[in-house]
Amino acid sequence: MLQFPPWKVALILFVSVFGALFALPNVLNEDQRESIPSFLPSSPANLGLDLRGGVSLLLSVDAEQSVTKQLNDLLREARAKLQTTRGDNRISYTALRVEDDAVRFRLRDNSMSDRAIALMREMNQPIGGPLGAPSIEVSQVGNGEIEISFTPQRVEEIMAEATRQTVSKLGPRLDPDGLGEILVQPSGESDIIVEAPGESDPERLIRVIEQPGVLTFNLVVEDQNALNEALRTGQPRVGNIIRQSVTGETLLLEADPIIEGDMVRSSSQGFHPENNQPIVNFTFNTTGARLFGEATSQNRGRRFAILLDDAVQSAPRINSAIIQGSGFIEGSFTVESARELATVIQAGALPAQVNVESVRVVGPTLGQDSIEAGALASIIGLILVAIFMLIAYGLFGIFAVGSLIVNILLIFGALSGLGATLTLPGIAGIILTIGMAVDANVLVFERIREESRNGRKPISAIESGYQQALSTILDANITTLLAASVLYTLGSGPVKGFAVTLAIGIFTSVFTAFVLTRWFSVIWLRATRPTKLPM
Amino acid sequence: MLMKRLPIEGKVDFMSVRMFAFALSAVALAASVILIPMKGLNFGIDFAGGMLVEITKPEGAEIEDIRALANELELKAPNITEASGTGANAEETFVIRAALPDEDEVAADADTNADETAATDQEIDEAQRFIDALEAAYPHSDAEERDWEILRRDSVGPRVSNELLQAGITALAVSLIFMLAYIWFRFQIAFSVGAVMALLHDVILTVGVFSLLQIDFDLTTIAALLTIIGYSMNDTVVVYDRVREELRKYKKMPLKDVINLSLNKTLSRTLLTSGTTLLALISIYVLGGEVLRGFSFALIWGVVIGTYSSIFIASALLLHTGLTRDPEKLQSADEIFSKS
Repeated sequence: MLQFPPWKVALILFVSVFGALFALPNVLNEDQRESIPSFLPSSPANLGLDLRGGVSLLLSVDAEQSVTKQLNDLLREARAKLQTTRGDNRISYTALRVEDDAVRFRLRDNSMSDRAIALMREMNQPIGGPLGAPSIEVSQVGNGEIEISFTPQRVEEIMAEATRQTVSKLGPRLDPDGLGEILVQPSGESDIIVEAPGESDPERLIRVIEQPGVLTFNLVVEDQNALNEALRTGQPRVGNIIRQSVTGETLLLEADPIIEGDMVRSSSQGFHPENNQPIVNFTFNTTGARLFGEATSQNRGRRFAILLDDAVQSAPRINSAIIQGSGFIEGSFTVESARELATVIQAGALPAQVNVESVRVVGPTLGQDSIEAGALASIIGLILVAIFMLIAYGLFGIFAVGSLIVNILLIFGALSGLGATLTLPGIAGIILTIGMAVDANVLVFERIREESRNGRKPISAIESGYQQALSTILDANITTLLAASVLYTLGSGPVKGFAVTLAIGIFTSVFTAFVLTRWFSVIWLRATRPTKLPM
Repeated sequence: MLMKRLPIEGKVDFMSVRMFAFALSAVALAASVILIPMKGLNFGIDFAGGMLVEITKPEGAEIEDIRALANELELKAPNITEASGTGANAEETFVIRAALPDEDEVAADADTNADETAATDQEIDEAQRFIDALEAAYPHSDAEERDWEILRRDSVGPRVSNELLQAGITALAVSLIFMLAYIWFRFQIAFSVGAVMALLHDVILTVGVFSLLQIDFDLTTIAALLTIIGYSMNDTVVVYDRVREELRKYKKMPLKDVINLSLNKTLSRTLLTSGTTLLALISIYVLGGEVLRGFSFALIWGVVIGTYSSIFIASALLLHTGLTRDPEKLQSADEIFSKS
């Protein structure tokens, strides 16, 4: 236990110096960090939103909606399949519909049920390749009623896909310049976490997130009689829809759009060439430009409506074919709202409705205050613990305090080196570690005292003290590590930060107490060759 | 040194007073179990859902003014408190809490297409509505230089809060099972039972105190409970390790005396470690600000109760859980490993 060959000493020094180097950037300011040579670590620990200040949102994707959408597709596919049957094999059916999260239909002839089930099973698309779990389940429910439903695996896949697509759309919406400051990441089955450090107004983010952003261009049906008729009956003719414009005008439109928002290549805020009002410019991609050119040349003289999320933004008249594939949307925009809209259009429509489930905002002052309070509490805690240890163990107390200081350096070094996030509970974790880290030292010192009282000489008392305390120290720390790992797995945000510092603290304090303090003791033993222990 | 003057080889007869301790704990546990459903827990918005806004005091604003404003806006179950703020230059702050309106109410209020989405959004908007009203009532003299500030604001919808509560309870249950399994693996089942009883004791009493004092019970409280479990376990393991060792050494000594001997031998370590940990925690409690107050309180309480329970519950229960003194079963890990 008391042998420290040169390689061990080198290792101890290496770990300590390395930890200190990684910890160093945390106490430097921006300018000083700049001047660190590039081969040395220069990034401080990441600060959590509760310390930096910022907005954190939890969103849920309305995955039910995308499942319903997929069910409607399934229904169309089923109808197509059933209609291909001919002659003797013809399956005649009624009441094909979506009901209770499944597609259902009734057979006119019950004896066809086996054939119908087999036919429907052809729509199965195993998940993740031919050997994967089936995507649909076909069964006969009741008398001649066939039900086709998605397997739980398929539902999960649809939800995951909707979440993934939403994340990929929200990223560019929230962070159009790609600065990468705003974090958008999926969480669980259908949740999305958005973290915007430094932001203090959640409303702007929520507006940009919640806008579905569905952009379509529909021709206006300029038939006043048809419009009046539709308004009177409340039911426009097949193929037409009624929409309000932002200026209050009621328009009858063709239901099928001539072009849709996914053909917009780019979009930006600009100013109207004539009245200098803020507008949203857009450019179509090649296909879009061709379709738009064709539609405008065929419908010269008619009006077309620019529909955003079912509201008509404007309805200009087509004076000539628009072939350059670009245009603008005018409305009652401010520069700010035009810019937001441009970002939303450029990023594209969301595949499903997004709901805001929780909003957390930490103002910048509170974050700074928390850091200061945490730092103060750490320093005071450290001083108190140091005094306590000196009183209790004298010289060995000094060794323990020396280890404790290295311990703190190592914790910060590990946090920075691993790129872990430091949160306010995380700071509490460090302070708690300061208190608990001396435990391993105390366990050893108490053993040494005991051995010394039993009449052992200093060297052998120390040797045996370390030997006997080892298994206790390991047991005691493994249990705390178990608790920390449960916290990490099941906790969220700030609590995770606490678990991380607690876990790092366990490793560093076992290292410093068991290796570093021992080394200090050995150096002292060699230097003074004491006959009596000063504790 | 001071510690040398403390009774090092203590002769405290812990085990003789164990029945008294059991009775005390039983009363406290019973009180907690009755209190928790009766008085309930003061769930923070993590678990209850709702909104919380903390602002620095606008000049000339009294708590009554803010309360009147909240009532005027018809916030649901508003609760306004004054707090001392965080940090060295702590400013006086107001903390405003309110429940989120029920979805049905919002849906009834919203005139057109009152679907679920609109309801959720409006719930979340409750904090914004309040802040807008505050801005109107206490305008800033200068757009750049703010007279008062929003320190934090949280809104948590009902779905999230339910999920968080469930995750918290799961975390507690899972870690208790882990501890049970670990002690079983390292010691024997008799130790395991004592240790987990002690942990349950600590958890129930801590939750009881939170109910009694109506302190905010939120996510960080769960983190604190898990830390208490870790700490209390740590303490218990140290004593158990000693008991096992002494059992091997003194094969004929009565179990009660062996436990007393082990407790006394680890007593100064127990006191020292609890002492340093408490010092560190008290410094968080005093200096860490409003956000960490509940958290550090839970930990302080937990360290005290955890130390007590490792002596009077975990160790004392060893006398009643059918401990085997079969030497085969009293090996430490090193021996088991070195043999294989």
